[in-house]
Amino acid sequence: MSCAIEVRGLTYTYSDGTKALDAISFQAEAGKVTGILGANGAGKSTLFLNMNGVLTPQSGQVLLDGQTVGYSRRELPELRRRVGVVFQDPDDQLFSADVYRDISFGAVNLGLPEEEVRRRVEDAMERTGVTRLKDKPTHALSYGQKKRVAIAGVLVMEPSVMILDEPTAGLDPQGVSDIMRLLCQLRDALGITIILATHDMDIIPLYCDQVYLLSGGKMVASGTPEDVFSQPELLRQNHLRLPRIAHLMEILRDRDGVEVSRSAATISAARREILRLAREAGEQAE
Amino acid sequence: MGTDRCAYLSRLRLVDPIPKLWFSLTALLVCVFAESVAVGLFTLAVLSGLNVALGGQRVRDVVHFLKVPLAFLVVGCLTILIRPIGEAEALWALRLFGRFRWGITAYYLRLALLVLCKALGAISAMYFLSMNTPITDLTMALERLHVPKLLVELMELIYRFIFLLSGEAGRIRVAQESRLGYQNFRQSIRSLGELASAVFLRSLHRGNRVYAALESRGYTGSLTTLPGQYAPGAWFYPMAAGVAACQILIFFAERSVLP
Repeated sequence: MSCAIEVRGLTYTYSDGTKALDAISFQAEAGKVTGILGANGAGKSTLFLNMNGVLTPQSGQVLLDGQTVGYSRRELPELRRRVGVVFQDPDDQLFSADVYRDISFGAVNLGLPEEEVRRRVEDAMERTGVTRLKDKPTHALSYGQKKRVAIAGVLVMEPSVMILDEPTAGLDPQGVSDIMRLLCQLRDALGITIILATHDMDIIPLYCDQVYLLSGGKMVASGTPEDVFSQPELLRQNHLRLPRIAHLMEILRDRDGVEVSRSAATISAARREILRLAREAGEQAE
Repeated sequence: MGTDRCAYLSRLRLVDPIPKLWFSLTALLVCVFAESVAVGLFTLAVLSGLNVALGGQRVRDVVHFLKVPLAFLVVGCLTILIRPIGEAEALWALRLFGRFRWGITAYYLRLALLVLCKALGAISAMYFLSMNTPITDLTMALERLHVPKLLVELMELIYRFIFLLSGEAGRIRVAQESRLGYQNFRQSIRSLGELASAVFLRSLHRGNRVYAALESRGYTGSLTTLPGQYAPGAWFYPMAAGVAACQILIFFAERSVLP
């Protein structure tokens, strides 16, 4: 497995003495989607700001493609180029009332020539489907549209890792699947490694290859979604829950004594289980 | 909402803002410096006409926006028009309490008309600019004309976040009203104070988050961006010269006709 980004023993304490991150370690595999679960205040946003160089960790390292990242003035621009952060509230990220100009900001900061900036802006708008919004003011966009513009504004820097803080929060169900489909397209087309923080449990088994559970500034669990969902008590202690389908499977297993797999957390997995049970019941009846 | 919505729909939306800025400014300055009723009316007619013809604005919108400052203008001109006139020759006059003579003289009638027409002409020039140029293009133009960058950036940020703040204030207000926060005068004052402090605190927090987001995109102290490609607008310069020439001609024509 090749790691796009790795965090080793990262510790961060705010100036008021709150220890937000306590020796965090995790890895995100290249070209995959890594989920970071955690209740509000678990330290997700602080972790992301450390990985992007907005905050400087007190101890620990961040490694990009196996190389330790420096936080010096000279190295910061490169870190920020390679690790893009899409913030939860797009209104925090979009500072310009002009969509085109906002998207161009990151590319201009890289000191690229004008034609290259334009090429990247057009490309990012095309990929995120906001080309026809470029002549609208930012405040006239819907929440989902703003989110896409925010993603485009990060794409122009051509990052290898894109971190998204609660990408689905505040979106309607259609908007959630649209955004997640967009992220999968970006991963497949550009090979971008995606890290997303969420407490939308139902999207985890659908989109994430690897999951980490962050609690009180510590990593308390990690593994595939199935691994993490096999510890429902741990999730509940951390103000989270199982995906609905996995919860159904748990109840079927524990209360009704039906032999279903614990790892079935998506509709297709549950469907397979139900069909298997039906087939077995049919065979027994014969 | 305001002229900005028209600007985004304007046919001149994509035209380079700098020629538009110069065009409006020349028309405005000539109109203001020419002490002439006719020039004012001419500017009003031509710039409003071009607003419709070139910008594709609806006549209704142009008239609507012209009406906005009209009330202030009329009140302002009335105070020039009707005044204490002593024993001067008047077109119309009356005595207040049998002692003060108030009325209209020919001189002040002309002055009031002049102010009204000059102001309308100037306003129509400003409307031509603001109804065909989005604010972000205008600030970009100011930056290219070497207005201090700090000032321009502040204008852009204020313009972007004013919508968020007013939205937030509106939501707080609704929330307060739904809990009967504006029942009487005392309570209203109190609720309004709380609203103001809440909006202030929130904007402070938002400021911190915006700064973090800017930094993560490589912000190093200047909000430099690249605007979309503008359509060339150099044809505005000959038009500006033409309009100015007509204005000046009319100015001299009026001088030669009137005593």
